[in-house]
Amino acid sequence: MNKFQWVQFQALLKREVLEHKNLFIWAPVVLGLLIFVINFLILSSLTDNDYEQFLSFLARFFGSGDVQSIAPTFVFPTLPFLGILYICAILYLTNTLYQDRKELSILFWQSMPVSNFKTVLSKLVAIIVIAPIFYVAVIFALYLIGILWLIFSGLSYDIEVAGLGYMFLTATLSLPIVYLFAVTSALWLLPFIGWLILFSAFANRTPLLWAIGSLALILFLEGFLFGSDFLSNWIETRSDIDNFLIVDYGGVFDRLFSYDMVIGIVIGSILVSGAIYMRRFVD
Amino acid sequence: MKDIILRNRYSLLTTVLAAYVLVVVIEGAVTGREPDWLRFDNSLFTFDLRQLDALDGIDIDFN
Repeated sequence: MNKFQWVQFQALLKREVLEHKNLFIWAPVVLGLLIFVINFLILSSLTDNDYEQFLSFLARFFGSGDVQSIAPTFVFPTLPFLGILYICAILYLTNTLYQDRKELSILFWQSMPVSNFKTVLSKLVAIIVIAPIFYVAVIFALYLIGILWLIFSGLSYDIEVAGLGYMFLTATLSLPIVYLFAVTSALWLLPFIGWLILFSAFANRTPLLWAIGSLALILFLEGFLFGSDFLSNWIETRSDIDNFLIVDYGGVFDRLFSYDMVIGIVIGSILVSGAIYMRRFVD
Repeated sequence: MKDIILRNRYSLLTTVLAAYVLVVVIEGAVTGREPDWLRFDNSLFTFDLRQLDALDGIDIDFN
């Protein structure tokens, strides 16, 4: 990829982010605000004595300084963000290529020196690599605001707040794990991503319905005609969260460099290739 | 062959889905893949729902 192609690809990524700010930026921001308000209401309902004890407990618990071993536990509070990311990803993938055809902007993009391959690739990179960056940034901002609030509260109660600093360090160290978890799980789920983007490129209306209906039909035909369950087994093993839940760096390498990951990427690539070729039919 | 596959959107979709199903079925037949929803195994904890009967021995007195 030469410099011009790289600049062109960056422009495509920028276009995806700007056109889908609601999914990429505002969805995690709203969720972050919601979580902050809920936590604020819960802590506000505590009596002064209980609040002081709570702060002392946090400061003591994280004051040990063993941030590396506690960091993985901070992955679990971020699961709501990852849930919203998955929902936004489904909405994005089912609509992105469909919207291009509906608005006829596909004609504009096909008149530009941009291949269908690059267009589809930019959409995949946007949702797999770029979107989690915004989500992790919002989580970081939430941690920062929360910790500053706790520290100022702790100072007003004359509590030793060094432990709260370690808590912030622990939470920050968990963020790369959260990002890698999001990226690795997206790669693991590439067959689903490919399926959705294929029907986004195919359907003339209601792409999500086409995607779900076609899957249901294929599963029914397999069971009815052949009495086998290869496809349902495949879908069940792919969608089992334990297969892509990552809570430490070791888990990332275990998942990335495994046979199951490779076969998932191969099968996902078949569907993505179909979406790329489908872009030539603009009717 | 290429002309037949790329004749219209339906022929392309049928071909892609056929390739997808073929690879999944062959891979499933070779590996004997079966889902295991009942076992959770990661670096923090291992939990097998099939072993819940081990909890039968626990007697809790609520009085």
